Amino acid sequence: MSFDIALILDSIPKMLMGIGLTLQLLFLSAALGLTLAIILLLMRISGRWYLAAPTMAYIYIFRGTPILVQIFIIYYGLPQLDFVRDSIFWPILREPFGCAILALTLNTGAYVSEILRGGVLGVDRGLKEAGAALGLSTTHRFIYITTPIAIRLALPAYSNDVISLMKSTALASTITLLDMTGIARTIVAETYAPYEIFMSLMVIYLILTWMIQRSFGWVERCMSRYVREEV
Amino acid sequence: MNDGNSDDIIHLENVNKFFGTFQALKNINLSVRKGERVVVCGPSGSGKSTLIRCINRLEEHNSGTITVNGHELTDDVKNIDAVRREVGMVFQDFNLFPHMTVVKNLMLAPKLVRKSSRSEAYETAMRYLERVKIPEQADKYPSQLSGGQQQRVAIARALCMNPVIMLFDEPTSALDPEMISEVLDVMTDLARDGMTMICVTHEMGFARSVADNVVFMDEGEIVEMNPPKEFFDNPRSERTRLFLSQVLSY
Amino acid sequence: MDALDGWWDDYFWGSVVVAEVFVVALILTILFGLMGAAAKLSGNRAAKAIAGGYTVVFRGTPEILVLLLIYFGSAITLTAIAQIFDPEIKFVDLPPFWAGSFAIALIVGSYATETFRGAFLGVAPGQVEAARALGLSKLQTFVHVRIPAMWRLALPPFGNHMLSLIKDTALIAIIGLEETLFVAAQAIGTTNKPFTMYIVVGVIYLAFSTVITLTVMVLEKYANRHLEIAR
Ligand SMILES: Nc1ncnc2c1ncn2[C@@H]1O[C@H](COP(=O)(O)OP(=O)(O)O)[C@@H](O)[C@H]1O
Ligand SMILES: [Mg+2]
Repeated sequence: MSFDIALILDSIPKMLMGIGLTLQLLFLSAALGLTLAIILLLMRISGRWYLAAPTMAYIYIFRGTPILVQIFIIYYGLPQLDFVRDSIFWPILREPFGCAILALTLNTGAYVSEILRGGVLGVDRGLKEAGAALGLSTTHRFIYITTPIAIRLALPAYSNDVISLMKSTALASTITLLDMTGIARTIVAETYAPYEIFMSLMVIYLILTWMIQRSFGWVERCMSRYVREEV
Repeated sequence: MNDGNSDDIIHLENVNKFFGTFQALKNINLSVRKGERVVVCGPSGSGKSTLIRCINRLEEHNSGTITVNGHELTDDVKNIDAVRREVGMVFQDFNLFPHMTVVKNLMLAPKLVRKSSRSEAYETAMRYLERVKIPEQADKYPSQLSGGQQQRVAIARALCMNPVIMLFDEPTSALDPEMISEVLDVMTDLARDGMTMICVTHEMGFARSVADNVVFMDEGEIVEMNPPKEFFDNPRSERTRLFLSQVLSY
Repeated sequence: MDALDGWWDDYFWGSVVVAEVFVVALILTILFGLMGAAAKLSGNRAAKAIAGGYTVVFRGTPEILVLLLIYFGSAITLTAIAQIFDPEIKFVDLPPFWAGSFAIALIVGSYATETFRGAFLGVAPGQVEAARALGLSKLQTFVHVRIPAMWRLALPPFGNHMLSLIKDTALIAIIGLEETLFVAAQAIGTTNKPFTMYIVVGVIYLAFSTVITLTVMVLEKYANRHLEIAR
């Protein structure tokens, strides 16, 4: 048993061929998931039970089950249902890529909406009252006071969720997609060299994680001008 | 207006307020004339904040009537909006918007509520910042100012809406002692200009020199209301006397 | 629903496996978490560096990669060792149960490291000083003041770690653990009802998550009983 450097050097470019797919999965489902999360959040805090209750059920279900199970239900399970096969979404749901995006979006949307809600709840009540005392409407208070402060508060947790999402994209390899992990698994099946392949891929993912953290750190610093320079 | 004196700009009649089963305000009657300066004092938890927060409906009273500048406070959103446009409020812990610079704090409400143009709002803001004597801090963030400066910004922010009434809820309680006078000076200035003010404070010197009437509250009731000379030199109720001996003892 | 006839006991035994993995992994997670936290808080630079590397790597790489690395890596190593004694042997592996429990405990343990470390540092120094000033010994202070204060702080995030653990057990099906997801795959082979079969898995996991959430709620209530408002 030896550590095969040549194999590593040979495999890294091959695995990097999948980085495009990994990043597509990440950015698409992050963007769609954030949109979904905002909609869920607004429903949740609307104060109307017929909007809030389904949202809570949704969040409970998607946070309470493994994402792998969600992926399998969507990719393997949905085709069992006739109305899915007859629907206009079938061209998307027939493809593993569409299924992976859908599963990742639905999953991250549930988590992110809770993160955003944490931010909204973290906004000091006194600030909202000050807005009310100045005569700002509920909508104006939400847009100009609650939202900017909540975003700042939610940012660290959100950055962690984006990292989780990035890690979850690797599960796309379980439904035949050849993202970086999918390619690594095929290489290991051929070469039977799990240490070399999987460990070098881990390094690649670590670099991605580091880049996500750096980007969010930068955004956070920009948004924290007002708290940083304390006297 | 109700049966109150037509000079009354604020009129509370038999106002009761409950938090759950706890009664925070008990049968409050209070009239304030235009231009009158009222100081409210009383032990902690006696309902002072609740009282003035009912006047701009940050709290909803449960029974009785509250009329402010001709608008009766009910569930009617129109009246609430009208009252909040005409009543300024200053909080104990400033409540400046931390993510906006000082001048943006001052411009926000005039732009959104009064629909002022940017330049109008900016001019108004700078005028009031000069009035509270910190125009040079306009582009700083609140966290970069001292407590006294922050509170003066908060007062200027309220004034930018051209209120006819100002409410103060212990505006100096969160301040270091050396900053109290800079805030009281601004408030005294405001009083001289004829602003109608209700001011919760334990600064008895301020009450003596500025107030037309001093209200003493205890356990949700107005125990006593008198001009300062009478109030301090000749308190009627035992509870007032006890309270005064505590706040004036050192 | 008829499709499920005959599969209920398989699902039941699959659930038992999930529970077993959970318990084993939970114990290991606490162990790794405490060791990691102790290393990070120790004065020893090497220990600090190792623990630091541990948390960076296992929080920054996909769970599935860690799992595959440990399972196939250990199999390669074990096979090589076995072949020294008997060249005829083709394949020896760690049972998926143990490889899987170990892998997910390593992952969640890296998060628990940070939780335990934060909880230890979060105990107000005044409390500890007060206990010492009252004449309690160092050990007494640790047992009677630090530990109770720590576990109050660690409980809410640790509840989330337990939820991660239970959901991560699903991944172990990928390396052949016969838990619910594996049962579903078998059932689909004969019934061709993937949606039904995977939904059952989802419901089972939702039940596990619910039980964990409720347990944590009860524990939190107990841990914070001194904060209840006296009326
Ligand atoms: N939002 C609230 N919910 C429940 N009780 C409250 C609330 N606000 C105030 N109270 C109670 O009402 C009483 C009066 O409070 P407050 O008006 O703030 O007193 P003060 O300003 O005189 O110190 C206190 O006993 C306080 O605990
Ligand atoms: Mg108060």
